[in-house]
Amino acid sequence: MLDMSTKVDPMTEIRTPKMAAKDVNVFYGDNHAVKGISLDLYRDEVTALIGPSGCGKSTFLRCLNRMNDTVATCRVEGNITLDGDDIYDPKIDVVQLRARVGMVFQKPNPFPKSIYDNIAYGPRIHGLARERADLDEIVATSLEKAGLWNEVKDRLDSPGTALSGGQQQRLCIARAIAVNPEVILMDEPCSALDPIATAKVEALIDELKGRYAIIIVTHSMQQAARISQKTAFFHMGDLVEHGDTTQIFTAPKEERTRDYITGRFG
Amino acid sequence: MNDHIVKAYDNELKDLRSIVSRMGGLAEEQLVAAMKALKELDADGAWHVRSSDRALDQLELEAERAAIVVFARRAPVADDLREVVAALKMTGIIERIGDYAKNIAKRTLAVHEAAPVVMPLLLEQMADEARRMIQDVMDAYVHRDADSAMEVWERDEALDNLHNAAYRQILARMMENPNQIGALTHFLMIAKNLERIGDQATNIAEQVYYTITGIMLEDARRPKRDFTSTELVEE
Repeated sequence: MLDMSTKVDPMTEIRTPKMAAKDVNVFYGDNHAVKGISLDLYRDEVTALIGPSGCGKSTFLRCLNRMNDTVATCRVEGNITLDGDDIYDPKIDVVQLRARVGMVFQKPNPFPKSIYDNIAYGPRIHGLARERADLDEIVATSLEKAGLWNEVKDRLDSPGTALSGGQQQRLCIARAIAVNPEVILMDEPCSALDPIATAKVEALIDELKGRYAIIIVTHSMQQAARISQKTAFFHMGDLVEHGDTTQIFTAPKEERTRDYITGRFG
Repeated sequence: MNDHIVKAYDNELKDLRSIVSRMGGLAEEQLVAAMKALKELDADGAWHVRSSDRALDQLELEAERAAIVVFARRAPVADDLREVVAALKMTGIIERIGDYAKNIAKRTLAVHEAAPVVMPLLLEQMADEARRMIQDVMDAYVHRDADSAMEVWERDEALDNLHNAAYRQILARMMENPNQIGALTHFLMIAKNLERIGDQATNIAEQVYYTITGIMLEDARRPKRDFTSTELVEE
């Protein structure tokens, strides 16, 4: 399938966002966690969401594939679209949505199954493979794209949980990729990894950005600076500043952004 | 601006800033001392300026080391990053100003050995103007005053005009006194040094302005009036 959604239109030179959030508010009971946030997210781009704990960045991220649906007290207002379609439309199939908008979590969470089945699970339930050979193909290419194939190709039957932390995280990324997502959400994907494993995941994110819109929540300022093209700074539920990563890290416009990224009292 | 949560980081930046300020003050002193020695044809004074230049070189090294430590330990971003990068560039520029002052002192010694020749008055005016530019831009740095930095950046024209006049005046004296051409050539070069010091002061102004605002001033847009390199001056 040819995806033209984020190509530059030569007539207008305006790119269409892959996902667009407009005036999104999130409440946990009486707690107003995300306040009127509007943010466009593009393919070919990594957007980093940064901000202190409790600033609403993870809550916002989880709205993008309706992970907050499972939280009983959570109420989401506003409008979020994927290729222009409202993802909170009652007609939307949430399972299908989460295949298109995949997610990688803070702690690697492989299924207690073989490496092969970890990858094959999604394509099976989404009916992406008719025969075993198709499934083998998906497993191999997903692991290749995640930079893990060479490390695991001889032990696809071993349990995913037997891999190192960094390998497990790349396995989870391979699992997300296996169902052909268009957007990948990452919630602090490297915070449980050592620097080498972190570097491998960051290299992978860099390679993947050409095919997906990637949105990553990170507590590491340097990681945001290293891997993202756009940075959004959240503070107490507000989107304080959003712009090119190089601009944010060399000359932020807002004092609150500056105080946060330079480690000042604010 | 608010303090860093890590106090040691603030101290490291404060130390770096203090080295830059000391260098600015020292460069200004060197210029004043060099011009005094030139005016009074004082060989001892000129020698003193030559040997004092080492202090500036030392401070520049110290600043480089301090900046590298901040890069390595703090991975500075935003205002801090601009501060450290600008400090590195400024110390290089100030060191260069010191070299011009030293060069004036060397030429003073050469003129002193030849028959004494009276210094053209315009050189004194040029030196005053150059010194004021250094002083004002360093004040702008210390007080984080972007407007004052901009004001110095735009002010270089006055020094350029003085240089054009001095150039013509020295050339005229050469024609009148061919036997003094050797000494007068040194004065011509000294005038050029002073004009270059003004240019360097505007380079400092660019760094100060960038540190404070995050905006890079484009040197191409700066008003310039020095025609001595592009025109043939003949009586």
